[in-house]
Amino acid sequence: MSTMTVKVRVWRQPSPDKEGRLVDYTVGNVVADMSFVEMLDVLNEQLVAAGEDTVAFDSDCREGICGSCGCVVNGVPHGPGTGKTACQLFMRAFTDGDTLVVEPFRAKAFPVLKDLCVDRGAFDRMIAAGGYISANTGAAPDGNQLLIGKEIAEKAFDAAACIGCGACVAACKNASAVLFVSAKVGQLSYLPQGQPERYRRVVRMVDQMQKEGFGACSNEGECEAVCPKEISTLHIQIMQRDYLRSVLRGA
Amino acid sequence: MKRLLALLSSDIGRKALMGLTGLLLIGFLIAHMSANLLVPFSKEGYNEYSHKLITNPLIYLAELGLLVFFAGHFVTGIVVTLKNWGARPIAYQRKDPAGDPSRKSLASSTMIYSGLVLLVFVPLHLVTFKFGPWYLTPDGSMRDIHRLTIEVFHSPINLAWYLIALPILGFHAWHGFGSGFESLGVAHSAGLRRFGQGLAVVLTLGFMAVPLYVLLGGGAS
Ligand code: HEM
Ligand code: FES
Repeated sequence: MSTMTVKVRVWRQPSPDKEGRLVDYTVGNVVADMSFVEMLDVLNEQLVAAGEDTVAFDSDCREGICGSCGCVVNGVPHGPGTGKTACQLFMRAFTDGDTLVVEPFRAKAFPVLKDLCVDRGAFDRMIAAGGYISANTGAAPDGNQLLIGKEIAEKAFDAAACIGCGACVAACKNASAVLFVSAKVGQLSYLPQGQPERYRRVVRMVDQMQKEGFGACSNEGECEAVCPKEISTLHIQIMQRDYLRSVLRGA
Repeated sequence: MKRLLALLSSDIGRKALMGLTGLLLIGFLIAHMSANLLVPFSKEGYNEYSHKLITNPLIYLAELGLLVFFAGHFVTGIVVTLKNWGARPIAYQRKDPAGDPSRKSLASSTMIYSGLVLLVFVPLHLVTFKFGPWYLTPDGSMRDIHRLTIEVFHSPINLAWYLIALPILGFHAWHGFGSGFESLGVAHSAGLRRFGQGLAVVLTLGFMAVPLYVLLGGGAS
């Protein structure tokens, strides 16, 4: 099998309070069918062999469903291509001799912990602020007991596909989290179980979003373009409408 | 009042107010541009239209409204932009546009700069025209705003400034129109965005018609 060699310029930062910088490495023996994170594994093996500190990065499932992985590759969160995470970005997207600039997701609300690892705790705190239903739903209901229209089910599913990777924040020029929050609001508020807390939820989550230091939405849609689940910015509209409605009602 | 304050203290609320005021300003611009198209066709018609407008007592209410929309828009615009810049203190070394289906454009990424040009343009424009020399028509019955218009654009500096500033206005509206509706959470469609872009082109060309008319020798008498 033919292999290729790529140059990677990767962000190295030893700890949150230390300065970071891009460091150049050459990675050989890269196979086209390797994923981007596997290429980083190869780089780390080289670093271990040389007795150097490995590059820290997050990954878990490596099949594009958990949302752990994520960094900015050549200026785009999760790298070139659409509808995939960094672990589903394959090296065949590059050619022999290419240079890959690899940086962590950058936002005030996502402080760098080490190298490519950022603290996405802000997402958890926004969920904790209201991204749940407190009704006791008991056991799973019988099929078709609770009728939900197909369009509504589809819309809720589209929102529920969010894996919370943070690429939307990383892509936005304002580091805004509205796509994430609107997906987490929408997956509940479109469905009957989410109705009782619908307005309280949106206000609490949006208020928390602001406390975390994310920016506002400029309606560019970079978030949707990098989202591994291709979640629509339509959810942002619905969230904003619900939020404005609650505030104007004096909730 | 309490609700307005609540709106002003949230990003979503501020953006909704920006969208609303921006769209109302665009509404005004449509009327303004349409009336300007009288300039090349009818000197008397333009003067009479202008006379009717400024002698209607409701004009003060309308002017107050425009002032409030404009001030509200640019103050929230600057506040939101500064906050947005603060949300990413460490910039990327390399940042590329994400591509389709993103609507990011040169216009959408330079809203604050096109806005700041308008912040200079609009007051200067009022000083030049609204508060400019008060010529009277030959019969002395009303202001000869047509004469002033032609005179202003006989200056190459004014002409150049308008021919630069007007496309920047169009640029602002290019992204602004669709974005305003989205910030209000009322509409989100590719069709609406395209309509806004078309409107921006029409506004730009419509406004440029007057200075270009003078440049091509129109109004000389
Ligand atoms: C004739 C005058 C103007 C018109 C018709 C206008 C119109 C608009 C519209 C419709 C929007 C979209 C609102 C939204 O995204 O919700 C907008 C956005 C914006 N305007 Fe204006 N505007 C004008 C003047 C100004 C001025 C003087 C400034 C001064 C700084 C300004 C700064 C901005 C900024 C920064 C944005 C985008 C903010 C963002 O990215 O979210 N505008 N404008
Ligand atoms: S590692 Fe789970 S999505 Fe990439």
